[in-house]
Amino acid sequence: MKKRFIIIINILIVGLILFIIVKYANDRATESNHASIASFEKMTITTEQIIANYLEDEQHLCDIWSNYINRSAEAGTPMTVDEAISYIRKAKISPEIQGHLIYIDDGSMKGISTSASTTDPSNFSVNYSHISIFDNFEIDNVADGVVNLTRAYTNPLNGVQSIAFLKKVKVLDRETGVLREGLLFRVVPVSRLEQKLIFLKGEYEKVEISLIDWDGDYMIHGKSLKNSNFFEYFKSYNPMTTQEYNKVVETIRTGIGSMHIRNSKNEDCVIAYTPLTGLDSWFLVAYIPANELTVSRSIDWLLLGIVSAGLMVLLHFNLFILMGFNRKLAVAAEAANQANEAKSYFLSTMSHDIRTPMNAIIGMNEMVLRDSHEEAILTYSESIRAAGNTLLGIINDILDFSKIEAGKMEIIDVDYNFVSLLNDLVNMVQRKADEKGLNFSLEVDKSIPRILHGDEIRIKQVITNILSNAVKYTKEGSVVFSVSGRKCEDKPDTVILHVSVKDTGIGIKKEELDRLFVAFERIEEKRNRNIEGTGLGMAIAQSFLNMMGSKIQVESEYGKGSEFSFDLEQKVVKWEPLGEFDKAFKRFVSERKLYRVQFTAPKARILVVDDMEVNLKVFVNLLSRTKMQIDTADSGDACIALFKRNLYDVIFLDHMMPDKDGIETIREMKACKDTPNSKTPVVCLTANAVSGMREMYINAGFDDYLTKPIDTGRLESMLLMYLPSDLVESPEDSGEEEKSEPAAVKNILAVDDDIDFLRKLREWLSGSYNLVVVKSVEQACEYLEKHETDLILMDDHMPEQNDFDKGKLLRGSFKGMNRDEITSQIKEFIERSES
Amino acid sequence: MNKGIKRIVSTAITAAMILGVAGCGQSGGAPKEFSPKYSEDTQYKLSVVGTYSNFESLEREFERFYAHYPNGEIQYTSLDDYSNTIVQALAGQEPPDIYVVQPWMYGNEKFESLFEAAEVLSDPSLKIDLDCLRPGVKREMEDGSMLTLPVFATSYGMLVNMDIFEKEGLKVPQNFSELKETCEKLRAAGYESPLMGSNTNTTPGIGYAFAYPMFANVVKNDRSIEADLNNLVPSAGEALREPLTRLKELVDSGCIDIDKCKAEIEDDYNAVIMRFFEGDVPMMLCSGDVVSGTKKRESKSEAFSDNPFKYDFYVAPSGDDGGYYMDSVSITFSVNKNSANLDMTNEFIRFLTSEEELGLMAEMKRLITPTKDYSLDEVYASLSGFPEKRTISASDTEILDTAVKEFRAAAYAVINGELTVDEAVAGYGTLSN
Repeated sequence: MKKRFIIIINILIVGLILFIIVKYANDRATESNHASIASFEKMTITTEQIIANYLEDEQHLCDIWSNYINRSAEAGTPMTVDEAISYIRKAKISPEIQGHLIYIDDGSMKGISTSASTTDPSNFSVNYSHISIFDNFEIDNVADGVVNLTRAYTNPLNGVQSIAFLKKVKVLDRETGVLREGLLFRVVPVSRLEQKLIFLKGEYEKVEISLIDWDGDYMIHGKSLKNSNFFEYFKSYNPMTTQEYNKVVETIRTGIGSMHIRNSKNEDCVIAYTPLTGLDSWFLVAYIPANELTVSRSIDWLLLGIVSAGLMVLLHFNLFILMGFNRKLAVAAEAANQANEAKSYFLSTMSHDIRTPMNAIIGMNEMVLRDSHEEAILTYSESIRAAGNTLLGIINDILDFSKIEAGKMEIIDVDYNFVSLLNDLVNMVQRKADEKGLNFSLEVDKSIPRILHGDEIRIKQVITNILSNAVKYTKEGSVVFSVSGRKCEDKPDTVILHVSVKDTGIGIKKEELDRLFVAFERIEEKRNRNIEGTGLGMAIAQSFLNMMGSKIQVESEYGKGSEFSFDLEQKVVKWEPLGEFDKAFKRFVSERKLYRVQFTAPKARILVVDDMEVNLKVFVNLLSRTKMQIDTADSGDACIALFKRNLYDVIFLDHMMPDKDGIETIREMKACKDTPNSKTPVVCLTANAVSGMREMYINAGFDDYLTKPIDTGRLESMLLMYLPSDLVESPEDSGEEEKSEPAAVKNILAVDDDIDFLRKLREWLSGSYNLVVVKSVEQACEYLEKHETDLILMDDHMPEQNDFDKGKLLRGSFKGMNRDEITSQIKEFIERSES
Repeated sequence: MNKGIKRIVSTAITAAMILGVAGCGQSGGAPKEFSPKYSEDTQYKLSVVGTYSNFESLEREFERFYAHYPNGEIQYTSLDDYSNTIVQALAGQEPPDIYVVQPWMYGNEKFESLFEAAEVLSDPSLKIDLDCLRPGVKREMEDGSMLTLPVFATSYGMLVNMDIFEKEGLKVPQNFSELKETCEKLRAAGYESPLMGSNTNTTPGIGYAFAYPMFANVVKNDRSIEADLNNLVPSAGEALREPLTRLKELVDSGCIDIDKCKAEIEDDYNAVIMRFFEGDVPMMLCSGDVVSGTKKRESKSEAFSDNPFKYDFYVAPSGDDGGYYMDSVSITFSVNKNSANLDMTNEFIRFLTSEEELGLMAEMKRLITPTKDYSLDEVYASLSGFPEKRTISASDTEILDTAVKEFRAAAYAVINGELTVDEAVAGYGTLSN
């Protein structure tokens, strides 16, 4: 990682820490504020209860007055107004409080008071007709058992803002002698209530308590709340829509709670509100500046500064330390790189140095197998081949493991034919099982889709490893290879394959199971020392499966056998079931033949370059039956000389050569303009098979890459790919291998719109059949009008054609099949039609 | 302290002293800064009682006063049935420190105690800067003392929709002939009744707002008729002829459609403002009190909110040479000399008596400031520099409420065709009954 990235990350971390500090401080402040507001609301409720109790007490005192007056009336000795007032005058204790008694039955709203007018000591009359306290208060609503409270109004006798507690009374009109209805007022100065509120502020110094009525008019209010109406005040300094305003009013009228508002100075304030218990339409509003209630959320910049500076010092210190470590790490990394390079070099060299003689051994042995007719020699030769393949497998395992360790192993998904994959596997293991006299059973679920999508090579490698182990560690008995498939419920286009290999081998102890997948570990080393292996196979298989999202499950009983299994999810390309694989396989096995050349090309000319004469000999001999003209060169310079002189169809060039190696040689060849081979494909023929080599060779200018020891099949396939098609002939043209083919050559008409597929068919079938290929059904019809054919081969994807003779029509998913499968199906069809 | 600093400090003190002696009445001079007389820590609680149910402009002044004296509280209370309770309140257990005195209370025996209880604001020891007030709004007692502080002034005239005049390319008329000419053009432009107003016999009504200042001018020019007018002597009715004739002429000229006014304007306050805010009335006759209600109603009028326009207050151009500006006092404050907090009460009044504070109050209330500076509220900017000879202030006449009622009744009867001018003049003394 570059230095600037480290600095950026460190700065980001410092920023994050500071952010967390600020957020934490804010969160704590918010939490604290919520608690403060909750406490403020609680204080409001307590205050409300005290006020409500006080108002109830005052009403109760009024009720005592009225009850005395009314009881007199009920007893038949009603009091006159003067007597009633006289009684109240005696009964009341506080001089501030007045009793007013007015007539309400005639609407005059006039009466007398316990106190005289402040301007006329002889005048006790009182008149409420000009005071609108009954605009919003129905006299009829004055009832028993409730607090009948007026709004704050001006006492007409002394001009003092007062509230009054009301109660209806029956009094005698002295003049008429009639019992009349009067209204008794217990008049209390508002200031008396205000004085009580001073002691209710509790811990809040700046709290202002207001009492408002339904319309928002104040009974009392603090100095901060302007206007005569709280709602008007709120509206003046808190601009909002009418809907929002109505909602606020409704909230205050209907519940207990708090809210933030703006005061006349546009300062943030909190109000807590609650209705007064026992009173209709009176509410308590407690007001306090928000900064008195809530903790300041201002950031402590000094603290932040100290933390920032501290973190910056830490950052620089860390950078200094890191730079020291980095220097040491750089040295260590350099050493590690060198060691890695040495390892790579070793692997490359080992691979090369082992594969090179292996090429000669296996190649020459192949010649013996092809040419010898003596049973004993063939037996020896077969043993050499087996041993050679084992050794090659060991080298391949080491290379694979090296790739996995280096993280260069990739899963490459392609469409593949599952039948073909099974064929290859069974073909491989059947031979080994037969050699050991083991009974190899195959159980394949016929519903498994035929064409799947996945990394065929690695899957084959995994199963091969498991199967090889099963055969290797089973002395007698059987190996059962079973494959089943089930649909994946979550993913409709996939199938889960269950692969299981069960043997009657030596089994594994429970305590040894953990070591099974550890690289280079071999279980019971002493007991199995005669069994070849590196201890890498299962580790590699497990690694591959991990990369494909699966893993091997092992169940084993020591001494009785083991079962290795895994589930593997594969995408399905074609849901066509593979059918009865056993039969097909048995036939395939029975028809298994010895080597057969894929093509001949007498007119083709190729050049092979290798510094080792034996390798040149092997190469030439392996391709002898193709009848190609093969030139050889033993050095880069010799190659270049021939390259300039002769026209070649393909050139195979070794990499590791003394003096001028393959890469130097190809560079020179590419630079050369005086040559007829400017377009000739050059294939790297090398024993170097370590990871990344293919890319290296392609980048160096090679067209392809073939490893030694040479696999004849792969070599011939590669040649078929690169040789001009007009030079390629079918093997029967040479007239040498006719013996093994059917006596009467059958005419086959292949119909497909895929030219590559047709070309492949031509390569595969031309040697055995008289094959005619056409690209369309129309062309096929035209051909059939003039010619006879024994079989019409058509892939499933081609449209149905009723004009064809159904008895001669063979349909199937041929595009997904290999040569042997197609050949097998054709043979079966012909046999059936002949019988 | 070195010499440089001393020089700077002495220069600053000298400058402060020069500014300090400059009174608020000095036109063009910097407003005099209020300097508290008492300690900032002084604790006090004052009460103000009045007639307004809401007095936000005064409450803002409380806040401004708190900036100088934060440890106190002033509370405004609206007294119910003020005219019947203020006297009792002053004599009661909780007498107010400051109380409202309305102009009509002068000379009324019922309210004598209000003046008896009032502090003499013109007492030099109080250092209340009464010079910042317009002379016309000051009301002195017979002994020359001043017991009331005018807080708001008012007048009578018309609201003018300036956008209409700009759109029609017209100027606001300055005299009666220009008014008739302008109205003719406006009618031609489609304005059915170029002038409108409330068809009531109240002070904001059409007749009073248009013709009363002219009537007052008649009395101002001949104070000899004043006593007869106040005593409702029928012959004094002749003083009404000129203004009533001009009023009749206004109606007859088609400047104002009385029926339309009657149909579309239901009362003399809210309806007048809301109809004006419809935006199709070039001129609306009204009083200053009506103008004071415009600010709050701007947002309540959907028409005005959708299509706001500029409007100003002008004196109605009733005279041949121009209109007459009634410079009337709306409300005044008196200090209760028996106040328990007399010092701080006087300190508050001293704070309030400045062009800035009274101007701010008037601007918020949208009434006319009693000071000489009209600049704070541009709605009343037209009154600034109004010719003295056509200005009638409170001290120029002493027309009593009884005479005023006669005039209102006469004007209403004339514009509604109930009486001719002659009949109205002849019926003086009996009209309001």
